[in-house]
Amino acid sequence: MSGGSGWDEREFHTGLSEDVDAWLRGETSRRTFLTRLAQLIGGAAVAGPAAAMGSADRASAAGPAKVELAPPDTPLGKAQAAAVAASTQGPTDGSAYRAVQAAKKLKGATLNVTYESGLQALEPKNYSGPQWQALTGIPQNVIELPHPDQYSKPIAEHIANSGAYDILDIEPAWIPSLANGGVIQPIDEFVARYMNPADLDDYHPLYKFLPTYKGKRWGVFDDGDELCLYYRKDVIGDPKLQQAYKAKYGQALRVPQSWDEYSQVAQFITDQLAPNVYGTANFRKAGSPGNQFAFVQEFRANGGVFFDPQTMKAQLHSPAGLKTFEQMMAQNKASVPGNNDLDAVAQWVAWLQGKVAMIYSWPPTGRMSENYSQRSKSINFVPKSEIAGKVGYAPMPGGHGEMASGYVKSLAAGSKNAEAAYLFMQWVTSPPVSLARVMLPYTLRDPYRLSHFKSPLYRSLWPAAVEYLVTLNNSSNEAVLDMIMPGWQDYALSIDRMCTAVWAGQDPKAALQRAAGEWDAVTQKLGVEKQRDAYQQFMKLPGAYPDHTIATMGLGVKLT
Amino acid sequence: MGHHRAAEIPSGAGVSGRGSRIFGRRSTLSAWVDRHFGVLLVLPAVVLIVLLSAYPLVYSLWVDVVNYDFQIPGHDFVGWQNFKDVVVDPVAATALVNTVVLSSAVVAVELVLGLLLAVAMVRPFRGRGIVMPIVIMPLFMSPAIVGQFWGLLLQRPFGPTDYVLSQLLGRPVTISWLTEAPWNYIAVVLADAWQWTPFMFVILLAGFTSISHELYEAGQLDGASPWHTFYKISLPLVAPILLLAVAFRLLDAVKLFDIIYIMTGGGPGTTTYTAAFYLYEKGFQEFHLSQATAGSWIFLILTIPVISVLVRRLLRPETA
Repeated sequence: MSGGSGWDEREFHTGLSEDVDAWLRGETSRRTFLTRLAQLIGGAAVAGPAAAMGSADRASAAGPAKVELAPPDTPLGKAQAAAVAASTQGPTDGSAYRAVQAAKKLKGATLNVTYESGLQALEPKNYSGPQWQALTGIPQNVIELPHPDQYSKPIAEHIANSGAYDILDIEPAWIPSLANGGVIQPIDEFVARYMNPADLDDYHPLYKFLPTYKGKRWGVFDDGDELCLYYRKDVIGDPKLQQAYKAKYGQALRVPQSWDEYSQVAQFITDQLAPNVYGTANFRKAGSPGNQFAFVQEFRANGGVFFDPQTMKAQLHSPAGLKTFEQMMAQNKASVPGNNDLDAVAQWVAWLQGKVAMIYSWPPTGRMSENYSQRSKSINFVPKSEIAGKVGYAPMPGGHGEMASGYVKSLAAGSKNAEAAYLFMQWVTSPPVSLARVMLPYTLRDPYRLSHFKSPLYRSLWPAAVEYLVTLNNSSNEAVLDMIMPGWQDYALSIDRMCTAVWAGQDPKAALQRAAGEWDAVTQKLGVEKQRDAYQQFMKLPGAYPDHTIATMGLGVKLT
Repeated sequence: MGHHRAAEIPSGAGVSGRGSRIFGRRSTLSAWVDRHFGVLLVLPAVVLIVLLSAYPLVYSLWVDVVNYDFQIPGHDFVGWQNFKDVVVDPVAATALVNTVVLSSAVVAVELVLGLLLAVAMVRPFRGRGIVMPIVIMPLFMSPAIVGQFWGLLLQRPFGPTDYVLSQLLGRPVTISWLTEAPWNYIAVVLADAWQWTPFMFVILLAGFTSISHELYEAGQLDGASPWHTFYKISLPLVAPILLLAVAFRLLDAVKLFDIIYIMTGGGPGTTTYTAAFYLYEKGFQEFHLSQATAGSWIFLILTIPVISVLVRRLLRPETA
């Protein structure tokens, strides 16, 4: 081997040096060189689009994914069967049926759909995506993005004019920015052509208004993210604690009705039961984004207003702001150790392990508390609930919980499949299909339609499901909204930074002043006049402030 | 060479008129290619550089002086306003100070640890083949994964660090590593040093192993102590490569982003904002692209003196 190898090596070097020498002498044809270079570039030019085409067609080439279905005799199985029946058999004027029939004619399109990465994205991957493909032949690529990127990536793609996305999963509070920036397009014409108008009235009134801006509809609402209070009935109702509380404060230990009472009850429980059980736990980690929701919620409950409606000067550094920090810091003090490091999942872990007597959070808390969610392997990142059957549901202290984020499905302005994309949006949020989706154990999509709240199938999921759904509905009647106006991302970032600075020891007054300065800079940058108009519009929305909610406007929905 | 042959055939000598014209054209083209062959060879690289470097650079200068903001329609000329916005922004100042402090701290820690490791591992010992890959492994990990890894280790209340420290110290340890100063800075330095100390180590090890043994033997004969040997022989000889390692790391450290993004999110407040994180926030979260671009230029201008000093120092041994 070695002798042969040496011979080959010599041969190779001889050949190589001949070539190189010829090249250096200019004896090799330059035309050949240039021709080959052109061939190389041409080859790359052909290979690039071919690879891109392969990527675009991947979803269809891979064949339809399998729809994950629940056993047909379970409530979820029945809801899923009803969704298919509504899509294939009708009623023929139903939004699901109309969408499927119209979409069948658009076969050949592939929809690129953004979704929050992780658990959120399982739903379109396992259920609605494959189901839609089975019904219409239209596949979809689910593009998973971290939550902040659900805002920034579509903007970046829009600036690059890439047409990368068809459907965007966005917060309602982002609509003004994205609509003004031309990232999303209104869907009024599609709604008029395809949707059964009765389905719009099936939204809880709070959510019905959310996708509208400047008189146009910019998407379909798809996630009722109402914050509620979840409490341990066994702790609050404990006779010994009741007695001790009465002795200390001269009043009954009850589910807190105000933020001051919340802090007081939480601290009392911590004093009595820690380290076994703490009064509360809050997700206060930077960027989690519990701080922004908690602050704007309590700030308004304390009478705070965001801006002077005339000058548009920020009003954060006010008695309401200071009061809010006083209350939030009292909550932190009464919370589990490491409270300021918690994100939403860590807060759930503490709650499900029975370490906490009260938390406020998003609606999946109710399903997880009863171990309904944990029947799915997908959600094994949270522990089994040790408090099933012991959990009560209540509106937030102060009565006005935040509709914290939520999701709207919007049509990307650069979509090349706008009609097919809209039809999917209509189908997936139609009453029967959306019911099946909000009932999935692992889903993070929460009830938002009146038909969800009233659904006998949903109400049969666990013994206290009726109480849960009624609480969600009632809380929505009294809810306050995120600040739906241009620049919300910037304003919210300031709040998060302000809060985490205070948790780390900064003086609340100084932090409020600094945040107010940042808000003023944002307003100045975006234009005081424009922001004033946008704020006026926001104030007209039901849920802008506690004195202007669905309930105070006489639009509240009463359920039992 | 085809074109030479074509040029040698006289026009009309056994060739039709059309053929002659074709040969004539080819001949002219060949001659032109011949004359400009060097330029043609360089052209692709020049085009690439212009497209990828010069164009964005010039474009960014334009973005600096207009209002290029996703939320504001149009691109009105605003002069120096974007630079002013950065200069008066207290968050930018915090980010700059943090960048200087953190990059200096991480490079210093990595240098000391890398040097110690290199000195310890320069001589063969049993098990060196096993220890070496383990020490180097973090170098091959994505900084985002390193951030996630250290975030999970240090996070309260579920991360194991406080528990382990409590067991070791025999008293409860309740440090909020990610949300309290100065622990958040220490956490960032720890994570960065864990990943990049091997870089220093590898380069310095290469430097130490390249020193001739004869010098050490001469030192031993002269009765030099180990410290003197290190101080008078090893360190001076490894100094150029040490400077190179520091320069590379410093250039990278001033761009510290991933670990901050994952571990602290810049918080609490803005206490762990670095320049890179600030520019990312401004540019790709708030989409104030002009302000972010102006900030990038300011940052570049502030970085140039440091780079110049380091490059000059690096070049000095060669020019001497």
